[in-house]
Amino acid sequence: MIRKKGFFRLILIALILNLHPHLLQAAELSVDEIVDKTNRVSYYQGKDGRARVLMSIKDSQERIRRRNFTILRSDEPPAVALKAKDDQYCADQKLYVYFNRPADVNKMVFMVLKHVDKDDDRWLYLPALDLVKRIAASDKRTSFVGSDFFYEDVSGRNISEDHHKLVETTKNYYVLKNTPKDPESVEFSYFKMWVHRKSFITVKTEYYDKQDKKYRIYEALKVDTIQGYPTVTKDRMRDLRTKSETAKEYSEVKYNIGLPDNIFTERYLRRAPMKYLR
Amino acid sequence: MKMGTSITRFSLNRPWLVTGLMIAFTLSLALLATLPTIWPHTFKGLNPLKVDTDPENMLPEDEPVRIFHNSMKKEMALYDMLVVGIVNESNPDGVFNPQSLRNIYELTEYAKSLHWSDKENPDKEIGVIEIDLIAPSTVDNIEQGGLGSVRFEWLMASPPTTKEQALAIRKKAQRIPFLNGTLISEDGKAICLYLPLTSKDISYKIYSKLQEKIDTLSGNEQYYITGLPVAEDTFGVEMFKQMAISAPLAMLIIFLLLFFFFRKLIVIVSPMIVAMVSVICTMGLLIITGNTVHIMSSMIPIFIMPIAVLDAVHILSDFFDRYQETKDQEKTVIKVMETLFTPMLYTSLTTAVGFASLALTPIPPVQIFGLFIAFGVMIAWAFTVTFIPAFIMFIPKKSLENFGTFADKNKNESQSILTRFLTLLGRLTFKRAKLVMGITGVFVVIAVYGISQIKINDNPIKWFNPTHPIRIADKVLNEHFGGTYMGYLAFQAQTSKDLPKYADELSKQIDKAANSLKSELPAVPAVFEALKSQTTYIIKSVSSKKELLQQLAAFADKRIQKATMQEYDAWDEAILFLDRQRQADEVFKQPQVLNYIAGVQKRLLTTGVVGKSNSLADIVKTVYRELLQGDPQNFKIPDTVNAVAQCLMTYQNSHRPQDLWHFVTPDYTKTVLWVQLKSGDNMDMAKVVKAMDEYIAANPPPVNLKHQWFGLTYINVVWQNKMVTGMLEAFLESFLIVLLMMIILYRSALWGILSMIPLTVTIGLIYGFIGLVGKDYDMPVAVLSSLSLGLAVDYAIHFLSRARQLREGFNSWAETAAPVFGEPARAIARNVIVIGVGFLPLLAAPLVPYQTVGVFIAAILLTAGIASLLILPSMITILEKWLFPKTKKASLTCNCTTCFVIAALAAALVAMNIHDFFGVGWNKLTWFGLMAVIVFVIACNMASGRKKCKTEAMMDS
Repeated sequence: MIRKKGFFRLILIALILNLHPHLLQAAELSVDEIVDKTNRVSYYQGKDGRARVLMSIKDSQERIRRRNFTILRSDEPPAVALKAKDDQYCADQKLYVYFNRPADVNKMVFMVLKHVDKDDDRWLYLPALDLVKRIAASDKRTSFVGSDFFYEDVSGRNISEDHHKLVETTKNYYVLKNTPKDPESVEFSYFKMWVHRKSFITVKTEYYDKQDKKYRIYEALKVDTIQGYPTVTKDRMRDLRTKSETAKEYSEVKYNIGLPDNIFTERYLRRAPMKYLR
Repeated sequence: MKMGTSITRFSLNRPWLVTGLMIAFTLSLALLATLPTIWPHTFKGLNPLKVDTDPENMLPEDEPVRIFHNSMKKEMALYDMLVVGIVNESNPDGVFNPQSLRNIYELTEYAKSLHWSDKENPDKEIGVIEIDLIAPSTVDNIEQGGLGSVRFEWLMASPPTTKEQALAIRKKAQRIPFLNGTLISEDGKAICLYLPLTSKDISYKIYSKLQEKIDTLSGNEQYYITGLPVAEDTFGVEMFKQMAISAPLAMLIIFLLLFFFFRKLIVIVSPMIVAMVSVICTMGLLIITGNTVHIMSSMIPIFIMPIAVLDAVHILSDFFDRYQETKDQEKTVIKVMETLFTPMLYTSLTTAVGFASLALTPIPPVQIFGLFIAFGVMIAWAFTVTFIPAFIMFIPKKSLENFGTFADKNKNESQSILTRFLTLLGRLTFKRAKLVMGITGVFVVIAVYGISQIKINDNPIKWFNPTHPIRIADKVLNEHFGGTYMGYLAFQAQTSKDLPKYADELSKQIDKAANSLKSELPAVPAVFEALKSQTTYIIKSVSSKKELLQQLAAFADKRIQKATMQEYDAWDEAILFLDRQRQADEVFKQPQVLNYIAGVQKRLLTTGVVGKSNSLADIVKTVYRELLQGDPQNFKIPDTVNAVAQCLMTYQNSHRPQDLWHFVTPDYTKTVLWVQLKSGDNMDMAKVVKAMDEYIAANPPPVNLKHQWFGLTYINVVWQNKMVTGMLEAFLESFLIVLLMMIILYRSALWGILSMIPLTVTIGLIYGFIGLVGKDYDMPVAVLSSLSLGLAVDYAIHFLSRARQLREGFNSWAETAAPVFGEPARAIARNVIVIGVGFLPLLAAPLVPYQTVGVFIAAILLTAGIASLLILPSMITILEKWLFPKTKKASLTCNCTTCFVIAALAAALVAMNIHDFFGVGWNKLTWFGLMAVIVFVIACNMASGRKKCKTEAMMDS
């Protein structure tokens, strides 16, 4: 029954995406091209952007914890502006996550300077302790503030870390199988992605453990077109082992708002740029 | 007597029919039990064999402590855990060397894979719960990651390759309070893996699989597996081996002893058949009725066997002594049965009553145990009085030619030793009656002191021999670690339910917040005023504080959507304010509450039993310390609620954020302390519970908190307490019933009381001895009180009945004593030896409860036998003129004292039952009892004073 529902949702999202006028039918694409486009659509649309996120973590006992935060994102222009045919940059990136609620973590900030060719820099600001802390890079597959999303799910997994294989092309989807180059560094043995052929939105991702058992599922639940960009406005991560799931709902999504570069600095952790967060 | 004779005659005349019926009855019960067990799908309507070794089931399912235990386990996602300890004695660094850690890593990876889908419910996974497994490679380390940074990483992402890396892992783990003393030993030499299981009943399977894997690992580490679940499940497995070995072995020994006494194989086969058939019938019925074979019910065969053989031995002993008088099987049997039928009926009834009284204890497995033994005893009686005479008829006359006392007189030395010894004993009790009673008195005084020293205690791990791997593992691991027995102490916030009062409080808070914010945001007063009026508006339609705040938040959310730029910030503040109010109930984020919890933990350590405890406070302190440069001085709870909350939010950025919810609920209203005890003794757990009750009473928490224990170690304490009081009540009640039966049997209060003396002395001596030698009063020991009651009275019944019968033929006890110490005393002595020695093989059992039962059955029989043979004749000597009065045979109601005692006993029994089943308090019942006693005195007086009694008495004199 649940499976069936998921299947219908896939079709529904496919239908919505197909109706999108701006999307052109792609010709025969190589695996790398598919991966590249998918990566752009997932993490690099627009030059910058912001969104309010309501995160609901529901555990196996149906107990719900909520977090309310605002995300600001700004992309670095690439060093060589060759690939940048449109306004999309697939290079370094900055993220600023400002917590509104729960009240006792209000004003907490999580900042990421994401690097393509080296470890990311992560910062945490804890207002009650008036403390700015760097989070040392060890691995990126730790929980993001207690949710079922990993830190890496939020910032985006570097595509160069996996081998990619197109295992199936259906009417609406490319099905990619991604195998880690360094299996020791991750807890999965591979993950499968269902990428919509026209929009390149990842509609579903399934993670398999070392016993080839599915244990984690990501699903896009709602897609809206915002400023011309097809945008996932509701998604969910389910952990089949803990039977916990986390849903994210995005609102007030805006692209290309002209975020100044200096707000992604340590100084602005203590003094949040309210102008852009509101 | 008539009924007895006709039953005997029937059996003697139709031996084939009697035997056939018995076989048919036994076979049908056996088939009904075995068929559904072997082919469960073919025989769906029938109950298959069900085994249950879970001590939790000592309490009914709906027992409050079990309901709480289960709900907390579910809420905190806590599971029963199997503990695997790895120790390396040969390496100076213990297991912190690359080789050992590689093995530990490999074992962990293997343990992770030990889960499979449930056969009965394919959607459900059973086995090890991978995500909650505690091992070096599955837990997180939080530490300083260089200047101004904090790091989350797997403690041991992969096995180290150098000595330095291995030691670094130890250093890291020792810094984390949750891991030190739990995952790694305090001396830094050993590691414990904790495998949470979906349910306890798979422990043995996991245990065996781990053992297999361990056998393939090379290296010089020692592996120890323990934990309550594995002890309980392993007990179940070994219990069956035990039943298959010990029970038949006991049978064999009894058989050999019988052969030694009676020297006729064909004769002694019959008691063995009766014992076997009784066991099969009882166990069959147990299974058919859908009852589980529990630790208790597994002992049913061992209890039934001696009792079943007992009556048959009396018949055979008598038959053996008398056969040569007539050399006629039929006549001898009739004569034997004439003397023995009534005593046997009564001994069986009293034994059955003793066990049936266990049905009054509040412990379901003990109830089942008592009732089924009672059934088994009566079945054994029925087969003894029918089948044994029938069987004797099958014996060809020829093979009885040299059977019996007369034929044996010259050959059998030991037999005559017994006879001579008994004759001597008889003389002693007659000539030195007062001395015997004096010595008995001294023993009784010592026994009473011993009873006052009794230590009530049990521990499932101690059900195994000290040499059993589980016992060894338990010992070794508790030397190295904070303790492998987990008890959980829950604290629950008690919030006020007074809604109008809260609304008032909220309005005040709104004003206060508005005042502090208005200088910053001019729109605040108006916005907060709106919030206040909304509060008064909806207060009548909401039922809880939570609902009130939810509705207010929804209201504010709606308003912020339409807010102007000026109002927006004010509404944002309002929403924040409401969320803060909601969080005010999250008491376990409050620093003073966490400090209180830390204080409780400190006290726990001083109990001497607790090696370590883990709590939410430890997590907060650890994170706080690592956030502040890892300075040990900062190992404390930060000063504000928000600081605590932010530490906890930081913690949740780890690999295992769900670990937090094993210590606190997400709404922070309930918290659990993991208390590691070094001993699973109920006595020690009880000591901790008491100490903490006192501490909490003397140091009340800063907010209203309720504390309550749960966990297997605690549950064991609860059922033990119930068992002790329950057993005592059941024992008292059965004592009264047996006394009542004895008075009715002998038609005299004095005789009735006399017959109870040996058993009272026996029980006193046995329990006094237990107290003196310091043996724990545990489950088997408690149950043995019913056995001693049932068995000890048997010897008294046999002795007194025969004494009375024989006395009729003589003028005085002086003349009677010698014959009583002939054949009747021999029967008793044979019984004591056969059954007492027969149960000694249980001493070789690997399971301690069975050893206890073996030793104590032997001790009870021996003591009861000696007590009966010494005390009864001595007392008869002393009390002769009251016991054998000149005025005989007055009817029961004519004896004023006897009549009154019967009535009072009946009243006491009624009162006890009313108390048990209707919960009427003792106060009311005492008044009721007093009234009844007065009524009885008058009634008895009138009854014994009536005309008929007087004429009877006159005629007699």
